[in-house]
Amino acid sequence: MRHAVALVCASVLFVAAGAAAQPAKKQKDISAEVTALSSADPAAAAKAAADLGALDLPAAHEALLDALAMGLPAQVAVPAISALAAHPAPPDVASLRRYAHHHNPTVRSAALAALAAYPSPEARGAIAAGLRDPNGSVRAAAAGAAMRGRVRDAVDPLLQLLARGEEPAGKALAGLADLDLARRIGDELGKVPDAALAKCLGAILLRADFGPDPARVEIVRAIAKIQDASAVAALTDYIDATPKNPPRPSRSEAVGVVEARLAGGGK
Amino acid sequence: MKRALVLLLLVGAGCGGKAVFRLSSDENNAFALDKALAQRQLPATPTPVNDAHQPRLYALANAAGANKTILALDLASGNVMWKADAEVKSRIAVGGDFIVALEGNSLVARDQARGQPRWRHSVPGTYVGHAADRERAYVVWKSGSTWWLAALDGAGGKQLWKADAAGVLGAPQAHGGVVYVPFLSQWLTLVDGRSGRLLTRVRGIDEQISTLRVTSTTAYYGSKQGMFELDGRSSTGLRAEATYGKVAIPAQLERTTYARDAYDDVQAAYTANDRTRVLWATTPVKQGPMAFAGGTYAIHHFRFLLGFGADGEVRWAYSHPRVELVASDHTGAVVVGLSASGEVVAVDPVTGAVRAQKSLGTSQQVLGGTFDADGWAPAAEGQAADPVAALVGILRDRDARFDRVKELAAGVLAKMPGPDVTRHLLETLADNRAPQRLKDAVVEQLVARRDPSGLPALTAQLAVRTDYLAKTEPDALGATARAIAGLEGLALDTGHVEAALAALEVHLDAPTTPTADLAQVIGAMAAIGGGAERQPLASHLLLYHADDLGGEAAWQRAISIALARKGGPGERAVLRRVAGDPRSRPGLASAIRDALGVE
Repeated sequence: MRHAVALVCASVLFVAAGAAAQPAKKQKDISAEVTALSSADPAAAAKAAADLGALDLPAAHEALLDALAMGLPAQVAVPAISALAAHPAPPDVASLRRYAHHHNPTVRSAALAALAAYPSPEARGAIAAGLRDPNGSVRAAAAGAAMRGRVRDAVDPLLQLLARGEEPAGKALAGLADLDLARRIGDELGKVPDAALAKCLGAILLRADFGPDPARVEIVRAIAKIQDASAVAALTDYIDATPKNPPRPSRSEAVGVVEARLAGGGK
Repeated sequence: MKRALVLLLLVGAGCGGKAVFRLSSDENNAFALDKALAQRQLPATPTPVNDAHQPRLYALANAAGANKTILALDLASGNVMWKADAEVKSRIAVGGDFIVALEGNSLVARDQARGQPRWRHSVPGTYVGHAADRERAYVVWKSGSTWWLAALDGAGGKQLWKADAAGVLGAPQAHGGVVYVPFLSQWLTLVDGRSGRLLTRVRGIDEQISTLRVTSTTAYYGSKQGMFELDGRSSTGLRAEATYGKVAIPAQLERTTYARDAYDDVQAAYTANDRTRVLWATTPVKQGPMAFAGGTYAIHHFRFLLGFGADGEVRWAYSHPRVELVASDHTGAVVVGLSASGEVVAVDPVTGAVRAQKSLGTSQQVLGGTFDADGWAPAAEGQAADPVAALVGILRDRDARFDRVKELAAGVLAKMPGPDVTRHLLETLADNRAPQRLKDAVVEQLVARRDPSGLPALTAQLAVRTDYLAKTEPDALGATARAIAGLEGLALDTGHVEAALAALEVHLDAPTTPTADLAQVIGAMAAIGGGAERQPLASHLLLYHADDLGGEAAWQRAISIALARKGGPGERAVLRRVAGDPRSRPGLASAIRDALGVE
């Protein structure tokens, strides 16, 4: 971060000195997009950002990075961040972390979402920190980023958010869950709202990559302990999404639970 | 017409009593005053009035119905001498072997050793006040348009003499055979207690005379403005030429008075007015103003005793637990207080150390009391008061009536060095129940404090951040930043500065920092950063120059000034670039130009 800022000051001095430095010629002339990116017209600047992001050119990436370093209005920063993350490079992280603290929640959300593409500890730390943001949409963005970036440090705060009934946290946990984590989530019964827990565990069951089947059976049994109607809904979704054949013990278990609940007049 | 009225008054005043209180009479007569003062039979050193010369307290507590309970306490032994229920309606005056108070409509003297009634004298009019010396009781009352002063024999209650007045008399005081009676707010009349003869009178030329305080050795008179010590120089009637003194009473303790108002009927009894008093002793002087003993004085303010130096600065503080002190006095050696629950505390007037603690051992609510304890100097030397602890105790008091005192305590506390003091002040800011006015005062004190040792405490205060999961939010961020900014120019520990900058930078970057606080954070970083703040501040400016936040005038000013004042060539180049950027928010370029203009 400090390094990035030092670069900013140095580049400003360079510009201020009046050097008539022209962008180096690349395979494609992007000077129009670079100029438009710094335009006072936000719509034109936002389009330029998107256009530069579509180009897999180092110069385009540099231009985006420079523009973010020099500061962009929110409506331009959001597409510029997305464009930057389209072709991730390690130097981006410092810039994205800077925007992950931006006063505008939309900008923060965009930066956190973008950070999912970066495997560095700094990026993961920023995502985990984003789960503590006071703005719900930012927390949701951080949760999504934690899932996509497979940020293990995010598990504890995600569980805390799940305990407050935050659905994006449940989705993220479902996406992150291996068997151990799934068991841990199941153990949250009583600490987490029933509906949120059922949805989270149900989402794990729906994952094609989650298994083997004995693990799914455990999840079905964990859901069966939830008395809320959402448990039946989660199991029903699983039954509906799973073919009868070849037979799966987890599906049979789920069918049994649902039938027993419905036959007993339960929910 | 006016002359005829005066004549009428003079004629009327002559009926039935001695010719003591006249509108025209000899006054401010140095010879007569010296003679009157010499006539007094006073002890060489401060001594209790009672014949046993033992320090005592006569307290009044609530009892069933209209009754009260008088409790007599021997302060030296701590033993309760006696208790007696009585319909007491006034203060208690102490004589040699008796005490006297208004009970119902009569002045009743009680045996000082046992509390049994000794005599009863019906007051033939509206009671104004009474006093006693070793041998006699004196009472002032009003009947029709005439005021009366009478002397009663302490042993048997026989009326010895009486004198009338066609103008208002205040409640009297007495010692050594001389009665002091305020007359028409202008004169202090000195009357021979034995004969009722006018000895002399003093006229206040540049100050009213509405207040009296009499100890075993000294009489003081004056008003809310200040007090004269009665001595030979009183004949001048002028503050500048008499032995006159006034103390600095902090604005927060504005109701404090030197003694009861002799003309206020309500104060003829123990009232809340007794809970706001200046307490002092003096050493005699031949010239110049009144000399406070030890150069100190104290103020009793409800639950609190505050000790002041001659410079008017608070030296110590005592906070009585739970209940108010309902009576107080200065014995010459200690400041004594009596609490509503019957505890007596004696505090060293110089150090604030508690020298003695006694108890009336009652569960009744104590309303007030009269100390007959002149010269009492309890031998036990307690530890000197911890002024910080006492002031913090005041600061955290939950009683909303004392908010102004808390402001005073904060001010005094802020002048004391040390990180603990900073921490205590910050805790007040974090206290949800503390009134905003007190918090505002504390902020100003923190800013003015400029104590480098407090920087770690201020940094620690910054550690609390907005965290949705932890349910925390920063406490007093703007105030803390202002206090840090106040340290500009002082020698600060490098490590402390680094830690403070790191903590400030977190809030600089935090999306939840309100703009007003952000401006303070920026100012604090610039104040103590020594250059290390330049890069984060430049980055911050660039990040928001084209954003909504960049449109905030407070932010524009703060960031522009910080970088222009403390920045190097790089930061000034950033400023110039931002000023020229068409995307910069309105007003920012102007703020930058203003700031760069003072480079």
